[in-house]
Amino acid sequence: MKNKLSRFAVPYVVWMAIFVVAPIVIMVIYAFTSQNGGFSFENFVKMGDYAEVFLRSFEMAIIATVICLLIGYPVSYLMSREGPGFQRTGMVLIMLPMWMNFLLRTYSWITILDNNGLLNQLFQKIGLIALYNNITGSDVTYFHMMNTPGAVVLGMVYNYLPFMILPIYSVIIKLDHSLLEAARDLGANSVTVFRKVILPLSLPGVLSGITMVFVPSVSTFAISQMLGGGTDLLLGDLIERQFLGGAYNPQLGAAISLVMMIIVVVCMIVMNRFGEGEEQAVMM
Amino acid sequence: MKTKPTNRLGDRILMGLVFLFLYAPIFILIIFSFNSGVSSSVWKGFSLHWYNELIHNRLIMTSVYTTLLVSLLATVIATVAGTFAAIGFYSMRRKRRDALMAVNNIPMMNADIVTGVSLCLLFVVFFNGWGAFAGWINSIQSVVTLPTKLSLGFGTMLIAHVCFNIPYVILAVGPKLRQMDRNLIDAAQDLGCTWMQAFWKVVIPEIKPGIVSGALTAFTMSVDDFIISYFTAGSRTSTLAMTIYGMTKKRVSPQINAVSTLLFVTVLILLVIINIRESSMQKRVEKGKNRVAVVKEPSRTVRVLRRVAAGALALALLVTLIVTGRAANSRPEVNVCSWGEYIDEELITRFEEETGIAVHYQTVESNEALYSLIEMGGADFDVIVPSDYMIARLIEEDMLAELDYDNIPNFQLIDNQYKNLNYDPENKYTVPYAWGTLGIIYNTTMVDEEIDSWDAMFDPKYAGQVLMINNSRDALAAALLDLGYSINTTDEAELRQAFQRLRDAKNAGVYQGFVMDQVFQKMEGSNAAIAMYYAGDYLSMLENNEDLAFVVPKEGSNWFVDAMCVLKTAQHKQEAEAWINFIASTESNLANMDFIWYASPNYEALEQYPAYYEELYEEELDEEIYAIMAPGEDVLERCEIYENLPQETLQLYNDLWNQLGV
Repeated sequence: MKNKLSRFAVPYVVWMAIFVVAPIVIMVIYAFTSQNGGFSFENFVKMGDYAEVFLRSFEMAIIATVICLLIGYPVSYLMSREGPGFQRTGMVLIMLPMWMNFLLRTYSWITILDNNGLLNQLFQKIGLIALYNNITGSDVTYFHMMNTPGAVVLGMVYNYLPFMILPIYSVIIKLDHSLLEAARDLGANSVTVFRKVILPLSLPGVLSGITMVFVPSVSTFAISQMLGGGTDLLLGDLIERQFLGGAYNPQLGAAISLVMMIIVVVCMIVMNRFGEGEEQAVMM
Repeated sequence: MKTKPTNRLGDRILMGLVFLFLYAPIFILIIFSFNSGVSSSVWKGFSLHWYNELIHNRLIMTSVYTTLLVSLLATVIATVAGTFAAIGFYSMRRKRRDALMAVNNIPMMNADIVTGVSLCLLFVVFFNGWGAFAGWINSIQSVVTLPTKLSLGFGTMLIAHVCFNIPYVILAVGPKLRQMDRNLIDAAQDLGCTWMQAFWKVVIPEIKPGIVSGALTAFTMSVDDFIISYFTAGSRTSTLAMTIYGMTKKRVSPQINAVSTLLFVTVLILLVIINIRESSMQKRVEKGKNRVAVVKEPSRTVRVLRRVAAGALALALLVTLIVTGRAANSRPEVNVCSWGEYIDEELITRFEEETGIAVHYQTVESNEALYSLIEMGGADFDVIVPSDYMIARLIEEDMLAELDYDNIPNFQLIDNQYKNLNYDPENKYTVPYAWGTLGIIYNTTMVDEEIDSWDAMFDPKYAGQVLMINNSRDALAAALLDLGYSINTTDEAELRQAFQRLRDAKNAGVYQGFVMDQVFQKMEGSNAAIAMYYAGDYLSMLENNEDLAFVVPKEGSNWFVDAMCVLKTAQHKQEAEAWINFIASTESNLANMDFIWYASPNYEALEQYPAYYEELYEEELDEEIYAIMAPGEDVLERCEIYENLPQETLQLYNDLWNQLGV
């Protein structure tokens, strides 16, 4: 029985060999090729100049992921406690924004955050800016929000929040209610039930969510270009530049991608180990 | 889960805030689709103008169709394949499963860019191999002729989409399988099911929520994807996202807001209908429970009808695919690649009607992007419209085909001033398309003085108010000019000095941002005081903000020529020349000039434009505007044209440019 079902995976394994593994191999070959052809470590030597970009990207992606988790978990949890009609509508509403292209949605944030944008106009109208000037004695006509790291993180959270909510929600909603009842019968209060039962059981969803938010955040380039003003590069910007931007050098781009990929994969493996440990602990 | 009602209000408020956060930008998009002005930050009144325009915009309509088609097909394929793969994975021993899952997760852990580029490389490597193989087969026998040149297109994009969709399906189905009680299958078999029945009756229903959410995720990922499509679609296919991206090089047309609004509303209506139906069904079920707990299965006819409908839908999809594929093959065609919003699109229709040649019109973001696309071998453009310095580079690298000027009689209408320029000294490869100058745009209400020098781009006085251009050649040119050097210098010390000037200004906080496309919105909405950009685009901005002024600084500037050329690898050279000839005509140049605000190299058109404008709009063309559009000798003599730089200088540009962002 088991073996029969596992045969279902054979076509996909072949597919992966061609369309997942082979391209990576080609990329690795590129990474170790100099611009004039021929084997070299040139690209990796050059990369030292960009350590700051690596740090900045990972820092921003981690912040965005944590914020997504802090917003996404409560929302998923609260959602799961609502009535079925509310739940269905809520989930639809969370998926719906993604049907508009992300470039456009991000573009729209510029209209909101700009120095002369809708939010600053609102602050002006309700007197918030005047109030701020009165208190601090400063003389600003707007709050500077665009082209800041904050705006980029906001863009990441905005774009990827649904990726955090969906997996967590779909795990929580599947939880066995008798477990919760059992915990309550055994004298646990709501907090304890949440901490000892719901939270550990929803961990697989949380891990999926973190993966789905962190990975696109660390590699984004459109968001940082649009909301960050292109002054401080992120990894995605740097790679895009080597392939399509003003600094054509696919070999260097491949090398940077490779290093980034390895760091991300290592992080994920560590995290998944940690996740599995938790799960087993719960089962015991 | 039942909960105390006291918490409800707080819960709902929190969720309401999250929804507000998610929807505020979308509502703004929708509102501005009804704007009568072209800006996305300045409201000029209600109008359905953009919806009307949208219907006639073939570029957008085709890309919407392509997006939907590729997303639907990829979702169906990925959902089926992903579900089976997930089941297969979860029936394996843990070690092997973990290893395979690690491979499966690669496309998700990779930057989209990496997946896109590596797939593109794979396809190109394969195509090269195939070319050699097909050539060999064709040479040893003559029964079948294999096509020797394959290129990126819908098929490769579909493969790429399936590639990145499957992991999402597996990720959605996986947790369900993990939560499923394995004994269920054994139980079903004990009760007499074959394993096939057990699979369909037990496993699938159990993991159905996972499959559905996986399919939904896959579809949304496909619709939302831009980067991977961009690398794998080649020159002929374009999704909505790619079209938008091409446009952001200049400006996002509110037509895009309109199309998004329509798509959004369609999806919304569809989902509302589904929801209402489901909840009414649920009510019926609950009512039924009160009487007799029997849920009626859908009747036989309904089931048959459903299957017929599904089959018809699939057939329709297949037929459209084949028909569109056929249609593309049977007509003569030409693949044109240019910048976003750099043509009056009616010209495309007119050309097709006159000649019967189908035009595949594509846009690309920048000269550098164009170069990379060609260099990577993934594109099959015939006609391209690069700028001067890039043309020189392409000629030097032997990538352009010599033109047969007998097929382009309209070349005679090109002013001699734009022939034999240094990028193509003998004029064997190019026909000029448009020209203009680079300069400083500033808002007269936000700046006290009259700006006439590049100093303004580096002056800490304007901290936070300046927009620097986001490409190395133009940005360094500004610094070089400011320091009194040539924009074509190859002297490393001079370049490093220019770089230092940029870096000092950046560290002093002068730059609000490094932008290309956003410059329109920023300057029109008075969000920045000073920017450097191109004259034609300034005139577009002026329509939305009258306080803007333009100057070609006293230190000089760059004047550029964009010219049409044909690639050596072009498959439709004759059609390409017909297109070039058509575009070089006086009528086309007039129409284009009116649409893009860049000056025409066609002397008849340039001369006639003020009269053309007067006739069209029944008012005189402002002389100042005309002088900015087509500056006279007094301005041009202090401007230089970009030359191609030697390899090591280009390398230096790249390195400096990368370091500026660090």
